[in-house]
Amino acid sequence: MSKQYLTLHTLDAVHPSDIFALAATKTQILSGSGSSSIRIHDTTQPDFPLAQTLEGAHKLGVHHLVTSREGKTAASAGFEGKVKIWMVSEDGTWFEKGDIVDQHNPGDIWAIALSADGNYLASSSIDGKINVWSLTFNKDCMPKIRDYETKGSFGLCVNLSADGKFTASGHENGSVFIFNNDTGRLAHSLPGLVQPIRAVAFSPASKLLAAAGDARVIALYDVNSGEQVANLVGHGAWVLTLDWSDTGEYLLSGSHDSKAKIWRIDSKSCVTTHTHGDRPLWAARWLPKTTRSEMFALAGGNQAIGFYREAAG
Amino acid sequence: MNSDGVEEMLFGFPSSQDSLDQTWEQTYQDDDLLEAKFDSDPPSWILRTTPTQTSNWVVARIEHMLEEIVDGLLGNRDQLSITLKSRSSAAGRVFEAGKGMVATSESKTREISFPGNTPQEAWRFTVLLRIIELVHSALIDNLIISKRRVFRDIYYRHPDLFVKQSVVDRYVDDLAFTFGVTRSLLNVVAAAKSLVAGHFTIRRADGTTLHGLDEKEGILLPKIRDVDILDLSCVHWILIIEKEATFRSLLSSPEWVDLGSSSLLLTAKGYPDLAARQFLRYLADHFPSIQMSALVDFDPDGLAIMSTYKYGSMRLAHENVATNDTPALALPQLSWLGVRSHQLSRTPVTGRVTNCSANVDAQGLMRLTSRDRKKAHRMLEWEICREDGPEPTWRSELQTMLMLNTKAEMQILEEQPGGLASWVNDAFRVKQKAQGDANRSVPRVASGSDIGFSSVTR
Repeated sequence: MSKQYLTLHTLDAVHPSDIFALAATKTQILSGSGSSSIRIHDTTQPDFPLAQTLEGAHKLGVHHLVTSREGKTAASAGFEGKVKIWMVSEDGTWFEKGDIVDQHNPGDIWAIALSADGNYLASSSIDGKINVWSLTFNKDCMPKIRDYETKGSFGLCVNLSADGKFTASGHENGSVFIFNNDTGRLAHSLPGLVQPIRAVAFSPASKLLAAAGDARVIALYDVNSGEQVANLVGHGAWVLTLDWSDTGEYLLSGSHDSKAKIWRIDSKSCVTTHTHGDRPLWAARWLPKTTRSEMFALAGGNQAIGFYREAAG
Repeated sequence: MNSDGVEEMLFGFPSSQDSLDQTWEQTYQDDDLLEAKFDSDPPSWILRTTPTQTSNWVVARIEHMLEEIVDGLLGNRDQLSITLKSRSSAAGRVFEAGKGMVATSESKTREISFPGNTPQEAWRFTVLLRIIELVHSALIDNLIISKRRVFRDIYYRHPDLFVKQSVVDRYVDDLAFTFGVTRSLLNVVAAAKSLVAGHFTIRRADGTTLHGLDEKEGILLPKIRDVDILDLSCVHWILIIEKEATFRSLLSSPEWVDLGSSSLLLTAKGYPDLAARQFLRYLADHFPSIQMSALVDFDPDGLAIMSTYKYGSMRLAHENVATNDTPALALPQLSWLGVRSHQLSRTPVTGRVTNCSANVDAQGLMRLTSRDRKKAHRMLEWEICREDGPEPTWRSELQTMLMLNTKAEMQILEEQPGGLASWVNDAFRVKQKAQGDANRSVPRVASGSDIGFSSVTR
């Protein structure tokens, strides 16, 4: 059964280089790219106008950018090695709260994820270390509260479950780990996909974990048992990004060959495929559900952000 | 140890290039060193015209030298000394057509003694003795290694003793001069390391001609002297190739017949030496209408190599130091042919439907090492890769490299339909078409006496 999505709007030349990350709140979409600035567009208006630019956020470019589910906290990771924490004020403007420097070399912190309440940040690193940081303290003190060791393979991606209980990481050697944040221990070492894992994502109910990468297959795992429950096959190139819809019914994926796919979880089938330009699709994100129909945004090497919505009826 | 040495060992930065640049700067201050330092030795077939001095003879000479020192030690002499012929006088050299600068017999000698009168002299003696010993063992083992290898080997044996690369360069040259042999007879093979091939002709003043298609495997980079005439009337494209293997595979491909008839290929086998950059700069100055492209690996070193061709030494670019070298040898019009990130999983040139499944698993894709990542991060901080810098594409490709944590060698283009050679040929046709007839009327013959090159060779 297929599903129809229509192109709603396209913002061209949002950044002067590849857009590597998108993060959405209920009213805004944040984008990070190879340029030093983070741009924020208003998603409540039909032409998605630019609301704010965080100039010079990361001099060498932004490789990861995430928001918390409640939409009040954002975090960005730059090629110079810093992670910055951003907060939004009542009127919708973002300001820098502080930064996490891992006392290591640039790039030691790679992927990042925020908990739903914005109180915790998980990070992966080149040497495979997975850390969780508390953001609830003041600007000067955002301590590391969890330190998970893996086998040293580059942690390309990381995610925190919505209930805050689990951290998941995907690694270059194909391993996928789930850590229990309460006990601070490894919960599952999942049968991986052998090839690099470039995206991991917990379902909103924290029951399933999706993982995908160079194997071009999206694997679904049961978080509690660690069993693999499905393989979603169809992408023709490396899968770079994954995002669950608010209800957990659909999974959005984007790949290096500019294709985005939407998968229905109950039937484990692809319901639609979109092509966004002709460059790698680095980021695919659902916009948090408001009263309107379901929407998602795609961005990547073509420097544009495309907005799509579900066709009515 | 100097900072270059540290950097080289830690990061593998092209400090060989840097050290050449260093000595390059000195050239301008110290004309005396000009000839021996920067020109690669003439091609070997010229050098071998005096075959009387064989390597056995050199070994005997070295051993004789060492014996004298041992005798001195046994005889409890106050001073040990080594006699060197000095190259410091320009009178010791004369220009010969067809051979370039050659040494004459008239020259001064100097003694380097130990302990000597000053600490500097003691140091010089130590340096020289150590170099003699290293050259001797290379000769005994009959290791024929490239000049750069030997020089770097020698230097890195005792960086704290030698202080800098140019010290080693100078003493090896002094030693060769003293024995009246070329560096190659010290097993310091200093033949031009770059190879060129293509449809060009050099007419020497003595009437001989050298054609770029003479040798199936390319010719050693010839030196353009100020009396030579370089004919590039058939060349529409200059392609710089990072690696010798790719250069050779292009030359041996069926497409070479077509490609070779209208292009010039050059490889400096990695980071370019000054000879290669001088040659290219000469071409750029005299044939500005000919397009120049670079084909390098998709990795931080590939980009750094291209950057060395285009902007000169990275260290200098980073520090934004303008030297005589940088503006003189830069190739600002150099374009980047590949390998680019979008070529990792696509087949762009043919315009066919992309077949990603076939290419994603292609051989030649590799993960970045931690050294690669460090280097890429450092390169992002370079002036030229800055957000508002001249190379936004380099910045973006370095970032993509880091994002995918993937690098690829040029060989990945073999996966393109028809292989690498066919891909290069297609790329050339596309460029040629784009260039159109605009350049047909521009003369493509230059005499070496025109500006630029002559100041280096004289």
